[in-house]
Amino acid sequence: MGGQACVLYGAAEFSRDTDFAILADPANLRRLGKALQELRARPIAVPPLDVKYLRKGHAVHFRCQARGCAGLRVDLMARLRGLSGFPILWRRRQIWRLSSSLEVAGLSLPDLVRAKKTQRDKDWPMIRRLVEADYFTYRGKAGAKQIGFWLKEARSPEILIELKREFPAKFAQEAKKRRVLRAVAKKPVQELEKLLRREEDLERTKDRAYWRPLRREMELLRKTKIHSRN
Amino acid sequence: MLDAEVAVGGEWAEWYRLTPTQRWSESRKLWQQYLAMGGKLDPEPDTQSPFYFPEASGTVPADGRTSVRSIRRR
Repeated sequence: MGGQACVLYGAAEFSRDTDFAILADPANLRRLGKALQELRARPIAVPPLDVKYLRKGHAVHFRCQARGCAGLRVDLMARLRGLSGFPILWRRRQIWRLSSSLEVAGLSLPDLVRAKKTQRDKDWPMIRRLVEADYFTYRGKAGAKQIGFWLKEARSPEILIELKREFPAKFAQEAKKRRVLRAVAKKPVQELEKLLRREEDLERTKDRAYWRPLRREMELLRKTKIHSRN
Repeated sequence: MLDAEVAVGGEWAEWYRLTPTQRWSESRKLWQQYLAMGGKLDPEPDTQSPFYFPEASGTVPADGRTSVRSIRRR
């Protein structure tokens, strides 16, 4: 669900770690534990790999020691802000066959875009690129659902302007829910950029609020861990 | 119709035109080059990450660069 998924969808990241969305249930964690053993992955920081923490929305971090991937960070999450539970994410997944022996499953593009709406600077240009890549690849052959996705998530003023021209009825419908759309063709591009930035700021604020209690819990776990070591 | 080359620039438009398999392959080449140049897998701390804690991070690379970054910009 991280940098590798972004590359496959058309954005470009150089990522030295690997992020996985996983199903948090005991049987799956046992299977996962075996895979992590093969990678000689050691847990780092808190919390520990436990269904309880994963279901709350924590990320669990590992660093691999096995030959060929020594130093590689693996981050696991089972719940992401604003996204459905794992069974639904899995049902909506995108599968890429990259060679005869390599098949990769990733979050669907709408789920990945949703997951990228974080408090981090680096995620926002990525969202823009992900939607741009999808738009330029599929415009002219897109169905209602995909057009709806662009109207909801596009962050490029030029694309928003074209969407209004190409799909006026759908655009008007979506504009009831998205302020920046109401400004298209009425305000200059700079004004659209400002409204897009406002959307971003709102999501960043929500993301910080979402993580606040989780961070408090992590702090507590960290202090307990340090205390038990001493 | 909006010209992708004009809207996002030639380099990005070219990247978007690649298939996922081609992008994966290009990304692998970049990886191989990075490792051949002595690049490390251990990421630098992502201080904006909500689950960032210093002890979760390895040593900061000598180049001081971040672990994940956009490699193409507008």
